[in-house]
Amino acid sequence: MLAVFKKELKSYFLSPIGYVAIGLFLMVFSLFFYLTTISQRMIDMGNLYFNTARYGLLIIVPIITMRMFAEERKNGTEQLLLTSPKSITGIVFGKFLAAVALIAITLVISFMYYIILCFFQAPNIVPVLVMMLGFLILSIAAISLGMFASSITENQVISAIITIVFLVIPWFLPNFGDSYTLIDLMSSYQKFPAGVISIQEVVRLVSFATVFILITIMIMQRRKSVK
Amino acid sequence: MPEGTPLYTELTVKEFVSYMAELKGVKSKPRKEMVERVLSEVGLENVQNKIIRNLSRGYKQRVSMAGALVGDPAVIILDEPTVGLDPKQITEIRDLIKELGKKHTVILSSHILSEVSQICERVVIINHGKIVAIDTPENLENKTKEKDTILLTVEDPKENMKQLQEVVKEISEVRFIKDNEDGTKQYAISSSGELDLRKKLFEVLPKQEIVIFELKKSESTLEDAFIKLIDTTSSKQVEEPSKEKEAQKAQKKEQKAKEKEEKAKAKQAKKEENKKKGGDK
Repeated sequence: MLAVFKKELKSYFLSPIGYVAIGLFLMVFSLFFYLTTISQRMIDMGNLYFNTARYGLLIIVPIITMRMFAEERKNGTEQLLLTSPKSITGIVFGKFLAAVALIAITLVISFMYYIILCFFQAPNIVPVLVMMLGFLILSIAAISLGMFASSITENQVISAIITIVFLVIPWFLPNFGDSYTLIDLMSSYQKFPAGVISIQEVVRLVSFATVFILITIMIMQRRKSVK
Repeated sequence: MPEGTPLYTELTVKEFVSYMAELKGVKSKPRKEMVERVLSEVGLENVQNKIIRNLSRGYKQRVSMAGALVGDPAVIILDEPTVGLDPKQITEIRDLIKELGKKHTVILSSHILSEVSQICERVVIINHGKIVAIDTPENLENKTKEKDTILLTVEDPKENMKQLQEVVKEISEVRFIKDNEDGTKQYAISSSGELDLRKKLFEVLPKQEIVIFELKKSESTLEDAFIKLIDTTSSKQVEEPSKEKEAQKAQKKEQKAKEKEEKAKAKQAKKEENKKKGGDK
């Protein structure tokens, strides 16, 4: 797993993707920072993270995850992975964690907004950390969806489209009540921006991620045994 | 080593081979040394820090081979290793494969039958998913060789070849093959019994005022063996071929040995090793 993680992370920065993803993400962050904090003349980090999560992840996660498995399949390098004695679980997790690491790096850099605000009046740091933690967990769920989309096709674009569509559809669906929250990731990111760690939200996001990671592992396991 | 050299093109050669070693479970301590050893075995020391994307096809092939070699496997499977290479690179890869054969068991899959008969000790021919033949290349060639046929290229202004059979009693058949551009003609001479008529022909033909340009024993190549074996099995399997199909088949037979058959694939040669096989596994 570690081998795959290192190599994937390295690959993100050897191609433009890593830089583009982080750069775009920070651009979205900055945009919302301006809109929520500066133009409204109030400090609302929660709003910042919420909006960035809603719109930013939508764009960035497909970019990061689309090539995860689709490119390997197209290139033929999938064979190199499948014929390795390492377990499929390790390989899937390695790639998954590399994508999460990319988001984590962005989050660390986004800490600069907090530092900017400190020049005026330091906001309470604990809620901000909670927001960032929630953001990370939310991105874990989104990445797992993107990874699954990548594993079912060899066309990166299709994988990106699937991810985007499934992240956007919940916006337009009417509220079905409780079951709705299972599909809509953002509904599990309501309490976090308020600075509250809600076990319910954590569980929802983590179980969402678990499901898709497991499905991806099963899909790849099948490819390994069929080949 | 899969067909088409799948590689992570953004990595350097060393990084790639190192990654392959990690994937195969080589521990970090012996890994560095093993990578260096494999790189020198394959001849990649000069380019080890180059990005794979920038290498030529031949080098990429070698990188892929290096990736297959790490972890010291007992058996190496090479799928079409010389496709797309220029002749110099092909020779180098073939020599490399022969070297590898000394320490590892090498299974080679190729359509280039001349290469197969040069490198491999044993050949397996597969058609429609079934094994058609397993043997050494020489045996396969011998089985399908036209027995004791001599190929002659002669200049025969007086058309004396037709009488040759009366002069040399041992000849069973004088078969005309073709007219060459320079006025000479090609014949195939078969003898009854297992005689080598070359010496006799060499003596007799000048007396008949026939000039010999070329005199050789008929050789059968692996391609001929392949085509013969494939055709016999396909004709057994096809129950009612339409007339069109038969005509097509006949056309194919007449054409020179082709490397790719539509339906069949020539496969694998085993190199059996008595020496020690690879270490860790």
